[in-house]
Amino acid sequence: MSERMPDGPTRAAVRDRLDRVTDPELDRSIVDLEYIDSIEIDGEHVSVAFTLPTAWCSPAFAWMMAVDARDEVESLPAVETARITLAEHMHETEINRGVNERLSFAEAFPDADGDVEAVRAELDEKARIARQYDAVETLLEAGLDAETIVDLRLRDFEAADIGPNTAQSGSAGAAIDDETVAIYAADRSFAVSVPAAPLERYLEKARETAVVSESDEKLFRTPEGEPIDPESFDLVHQRGRLAQVNMSSQGGICDGLREARESRLEKTADD
Amino acid sequence: MVYGNNTHTTMYQHDGEEIFVIDGHVHLWDATEDNIKHDGGEEFIQCFYDYHTTFTPEARQWDIDEYRRYGADRMVEDLFSNAATDMAIFQPTYLTDFYTEGFNTTEQNAELATEYPERFVLNGTFDPRDGEDGLEYLEELHEKYEIPGVKLYTAEWRDDSKGWRLDDEDAFEFLEKCQELGIENIHAHKGPTIRPLNRDAFDVKDVDDAASSFPELNFIVEHVGLPRLDDFCWIAAQENNVYGGLAVAAPFAQNRPGKFSEIMSELLWWLGEDRVLFGSDYALWNPDWLVEEVLEAELTQEHRAEYGVEWDIETKKKVMGENIAELYDIDIEAKRRAFQDDEISQQFGLEDHYASGEPAAADD
Repeated sequence: MSERMPDGPTRAAVRDRLDRVTDPELDRSIVDLEYIDSIEIDGEHVSVAFTLPTAWCSPAFAWMMAVDARDEVESLPAVETARITLAEHMHETEINRGVNERLSFAEAFPDADGDVEAVRAELDEKARIARQYDAVETLLEAGLDAETIVDLRLRDFEAADIGPNTAQSGSAGAAIDDETVAIYAADRSFAVSVPAAPLERYLEKARETAVVSESDEKLFRTPEGEPIDPESFDLVHQRGRLAQVNMSSQGGICDGLREARESRLEKTADD
Repeated sequence: MVYGNNTHTTMYQHDGEEIFVIDGHVHLWDATEDNIKHDGGEEFIQCFYDYHTTFTPEARQWDIDEYRRYGADRMVEDLFSNAATDMAIFQPTYLTDFYTEGFNTTEQNAELATEYPERFVLNGTFDPRDGEDGLEYLEELHEKYEIPGVKLYTAEWRDDSKGWRLDDEDAFEFLEKCQELGIENIHAHKGPTIRPLNRDAFDVKDVDDAASSFPELNFIVEHVGLPRLDDFCWIAAQENNVYGGLAVAAPFAQNRPGKFSEIMSELLWWLGEDRVLFGSDYALWNPDWLVEEVLEAELTQEHRAEYGVEWDIETKKKVMGENIAELYDIDIEAKRRAFQDDEISQQFGLEDHYASGEPAAADD
């Protein structure tokens, strides 16, 4: 079996796109979380099947992952259509039909009130706060102080691959782990070199949530999106830590629920 | 012992000190198939059961049939037979759109609570969508049972409505009624998002406005808001009448000890040791083993250094009983004396245990 079908994408390319899709509540890749059950490639048509930790995972979150998976895979030039199948979920019928027939959330779930965008925006903002914690930790470790950090602007970062169009590709894998980025601090009076990955991950979400878009804007923000007052630096940083603990705790619950379900299914299979 | 493998017949002791445990969150539910009238009822108990098996040691897991309805006798045995808990607080969950007779109503809980009034505290509930009838029902619960608190379930379905918020005008009317009747403890279930589909009915932000508008009431956020621990801690840090109930977080001690350490560290950092309250969520988890797991849990060196907090004997005493005793006006020393010969102690042979547990008079 050849990996590559005539005129179709490679399996690796599909996985790479799926890797960009996150569980919005955990801010972790659905590939890393092992939600993907199968990828089938038939020429320009790709089918992806996935399962969530429990049948009761929020339908809104399930919907976001299904739509994102579809859109990411279809962004490959070699893909004409992506068919997404969610299994073992209490709303799999509505979600699978909605995503593959390209309905809106409100059309797929007539009894839901409104759309998922507000929920998505809130989770993106939490992901930004959690990522900010890692980025700021990196800068603290490099010896920058609070006053310097809160004053940094987008333009103070210089790396060949940090730009509006490349941050996404940077986030995709571990390849950038040993790359560094230069930071020009204190009105560009000195520069330090720090690991690029935490900063790129932060920038990606900061752009997605539109808290930072212009090069002279302050890079780091309170959870409410405001520039950070140096006096409240510690508190804001602690809130970033808290956002991380919240996500990883929920991750612990999801992991546990998935293990419980798997062992129950195994037991049923043994009977 | 009929049910548990109770190897611990002594009260929980740490460094020779006894810890009075008040389980702040217990249920007596009925999810038998006969009582289920909507698919949601079956989904609901199955979801609970997944949580149960996920965070219960394998040897202590129940099968689904005993989980659907365990009954009053077993509950008493699980809670008290090995003195895992000394007292417990019933938190009702009506879900009358899912269950014919309700899932875990005040009336159902009252059967047991009135049999052992010295051991149980009975809470009521309200639902602002019930309007005038709801206010009357709240008064009725107050008159009949003198409820000191209510458990609220903001994501409960009712007809076309998929939930309500604590900061709604209607909800404020009920909170005013609570204040007027002296029902001081408002327990809000804030747990995982299941339904409604898109709106986040377990969003904790509604607690903020309610808590600042009713400073004389205590707002206990159950499940410490998980998966919104961040929103919860931030609100609680600003409103000192907001408390965190440990249900769901507690059993992390058993199979995710590092996570337990981290969550507990955050809670102690943001809320301090006076506003964190133990609850097992029985029968989601059984205090029979859970209490011991929580008491024996430790914070990691890294977390102690990072947060500067301790899970020491004084903190444990507060979290496991003293804090909630304060909210419910429970005199722990008087209770200890009373339990030297109450019916439960006689039934399980705990008289000596309470007798020996009496601390020196000058201890205060």
